[in-house]
Amino acid sequence: MANRENFVAPKRYNTIAIALIAIGILSTITLYITAGSKDDPHQQARFWGSLLQNSVYFLLVVNAAMFFICATTLAWGGWQMAFRRVPEAISACVPVVGVIAGAILLSICFSSNHEIYHWTDSAHVAHDPTLDHKKGFLNKGFFATVTVLTIVLWSLLGWKMRKLSRSLDENPIPTVEGRKKYMWNNTIWAALFMIVFALTVMSSIPWLWLMSIDAHWYSTMYSWYTFASTFVAGMALIALFVVFLKNNGYLEHTNTEHLHDIGKFMFAFSIFWTYLWFSQFMLIWYANIPEETVYFKPRAQGEFSGVFWLMFIINFIAPILILMSRDSKRNYAVISIMAVLILFGHWLDFFQMVFPSPMTDPKTGVTHVPNILYDLGIALGFVGVIMFATGRALSKAPLVAKNHPFMKESLIHHT
Amino acid sequence: MSLLRYESQVRPPIVDGSKDYHQVTEDICAPVEAKPTKAWWIGFIISVALLLFGVVSIVVEVIYGTGQWNLNKTIGWGWDITNFVWWVGIGHAGTLISAILLLFRQGWRTGVNRAAEAMTIFAVMCAGQFPIWHMGRVWDAFFVLPYPNTRGPLWVNFNSPLLWDVFAISTYFTVSLLFWYSGLLPDLATLRDRAKLKWRKMFYGLAAFGWTGSTKHWQRHEALSLVLAGLSTPLVLSVHTIVSFDFATSVIPGWHTTIFPPYFVAGAVFSGFAMVQTLLLITRKVLGLKDYITIEHIEVMNKVIVLTGSIVGIAYLTELFMAWYSHVGYEWFAFKENRVNLSSPYGWSYWIMMGCNVLSPQVFWSKKLRRNLLLTFFMSILVNIGMWFERFVIIVTSLYRDYLPSSWSTYYTPTIWEIGFYMGTFGLFFVCYFLFSKFFPVIAIAEIKHILKKNGDNWKEGYNKEEGQNYDEFAHDNVHHDDHH
Repeated sequence: MANRENFVAPKRYNTIAIALIAIGILSTITLYITAGSKDDPHQQARFWGSLLQNSVYFLLVVNAAMFFICATTLAWGGWQMAFRRVPEAISACVPVVGVIAGAILLSICFSSNHEIYHWTDSAHVAHDPTLDHKKGFLNKGFFATVTVLTIVLWSLLGWKMRKLSRSLDENPIPTVEGRKKYMWNNTIWAALFMIVFALTVMSSIPWLWLMSIDAHWYSTMYSWYTFASTFVAGMALIALFVVFLKNNGYLEHTNTEHLHDIGKFMFAFSIFWTYLWFSQFMLIWYANIPEETVYFKPRAQGEFSGVFWLMFIINFIAPILILMSRDSKRNYAVISIMAVLILFGHWLDFFQMVFPSPMTDPKTGVTHVPNILYDLGIALGFVGVIMFATGRALSKAPLVAKNHPFMKESLIHHT
Repeated sequence: MSLLRYESQVRPPIVDGSKDYHQVTEDICAPVEAKPTKAWWIGFIISVALLLFGVVSIVVEVIYGTGQWNLNKTIGWGWDITNFVWWVGIGHAGTLISAILLLFRQGWRTGVNRAAEAMTIFAVMCAGQFPIWHMGRVWDAFFVLPYPNTRGPLWVNFNSPLLWDVFAISTYFTVSLLFWYSGLLPDLATLRDRAKLKWRKMFYGLAAFGWTGSTKHWQRHEALSLVLAGLSTPLVLSVHTIVSFDFATSVIPGWHTTIFPPYFVAGAVFSGFAMVQTLLLITRKVLGLKDYITIEHIEVMNKVIVLTGSIVGIAYLTELFMAWYSHVGYEWFAFKENRVNLSSPYGWSYWIMMGCNVLSPQVFWSKKLRRNLLLTFFMSILVNIGMWFERFVIIVTSLYRDYLPSSWSTYYTPTIWEIGFYMGTFGLFFVCYFLFSKFFPVIAIAEIKHILKKNGDNWKEGYNKEEGQNYDEFAHDNVHHDDHH
């Protein structure tokens, strides 16, 4: 097969992406008409909740690709160089999805509807001692500032890392000393990204964007849990694009060995997610303190129990049974199916993280599970956006970062 | 010709001194085959003395009961459980290095894994002493084993994390020991084959289990290593997770928090690496192994220390933040009044913990300081002081002010027997380590040979041609198209 170094999106690829975006827009409009445009704030929350769940989930997933790049850079990994341009291209979606998510988050924060973020209702907060106590953290100004700053920083630092990578495409570094200096430069920017990542994804951002939906409830594990959920989904997304490119005759020197290692990440971090899931769930169940169990009541036992246990089966039982074996991690079909399953499973996880609180009727106290088809439709829209943006980013630069100092290591990689 | 292995010259070598296979064997066997030095005897005798102090302290405690310690109704756990958790934590680095770093294909682990694994085993042995002797009526210790018995309906409490500890730690100890010992087999055979004295030949002959180095032996050895690495990886996480459950399943303010399991594991790796640094900085100097435990090894481990220290730091701040955010008065009191407040009785211990564990490791962001041996040695001790205080803070500052102010404890200081017991475990630890470093090769000879031709300084020059090639030339020479998809 001819050596194809530059990605040209097949016509069908862009058609599918645009069709998916159309489905997303259509679902959004339909959901807006059936729920979002109603006078009942509870109905409106159904609409905004879906936008929140989808935009935040997909933003964290595409940003996880840059986390993967920075983590492997700091660890001086070599094996991933063969397909390094794939996570780079995925991370190029961060500004796009970031703008969408930022707009949605700020709209919810500043709207007159307080069903999702109860703490935005100053009249309610005045009568709620707990929310009043949290005012120093849960307030609109702080939320907006942190949200904007975070999305800007992720985008900028990601852009810088991609720029560093592309700077070598036309200018190979001739000396070993020069290569060492290049690695050093990469290390510094990756470390900066990591610090920002630690202060946002690993701590403040999930508290603000997601945990504050259940504004009274708290769990120290929450942010690390959210990180695990989106990182494993991010690895699955990388796997999907690698398989797609291989199937279309690209990435000549990425082979089963690399796929095997990506599969190991999918497997290991599925188990890691389960570990954090279990730690959070078991400790709250064991201590049985009402202020804490209130979170799991509608999820594990109430209306959402179907979604809750289904996502547990998809995110834990399926990976441990299917991805444990060596053969399955080296099989393109199995990896593709599992990647789709993992992406869907953690999307379901976000579904049950977001909806139980806004779907509880404040008057009757009854919780109901919304019709998930709308949310799936909107999710497909985001998938389309990511396909389109990643495809564009892939076609802008050569698919192989040929001149990276560790590139050659990746070519004779054995697992 | 195409390469089977290749490494960029951008990476520094991790075996120095232009070694060949024979020289590796000579260097690492030399301290085992020489007579013990004066320094060794001095260190060994001091360790034995400490161990004896510990034995006396335990004897006193067994005869007169745990009343010999200053524990009371409110502070039911004090130095003993602090020491237990501290030692278990230290016992995490070895298996992390041997198992998880093996799965991550970190070549540098070969320089340090043997000593780190040995240290792990000794640390877990020390840790085990504390819950055992804390039982008071130690002759009933076998009650923790669940088996059909004649004591009527008296079974162990399967709901208790303390029982899970028994299972987790004994499993961890067993697998770590197997991993360490199976790794030793080829090296013990080397020592056997080199032995000139009859008793040495017999001793290493028995210890090597008849290893011949045949292909079949190596094949089984490799398969066993992979299986044990797979088993050890979840075990490394499980042990400190379950230790954290000892606290987190309760409803005690400062103990009941969901982040405890992963943060305990990060803290354990943090303290374990600090202890590896302490020991290896001495070992490489005394045994003359600087070519194998190089400055690169020290630097990489300092990176692990700054990483895990920062993870622990995020966890501390998360806990503190949530104590405020949760709006639970008791939780916030435990943090604000019992810990953060420097003028409270134990406030100083919280700030020692913060200073040693979170602030001080940040110096390792600097490459220059990561490669400074004196600073590394100082930091490695500072970190373990900090990690001891972490457990002390968790245990004592959460307990000493009970829900009822009438039960608030007076200031808790250990008795001489509590201190003696702790010193005794240092004795046990170092007696074991001295014996190990005298009778066993402290570096895995076979594993160094495995990476030598890729990572040895003299061998790296052999890649001059490849380093100079561009991507296409390199791919043309070395990649075979047997993977058509």
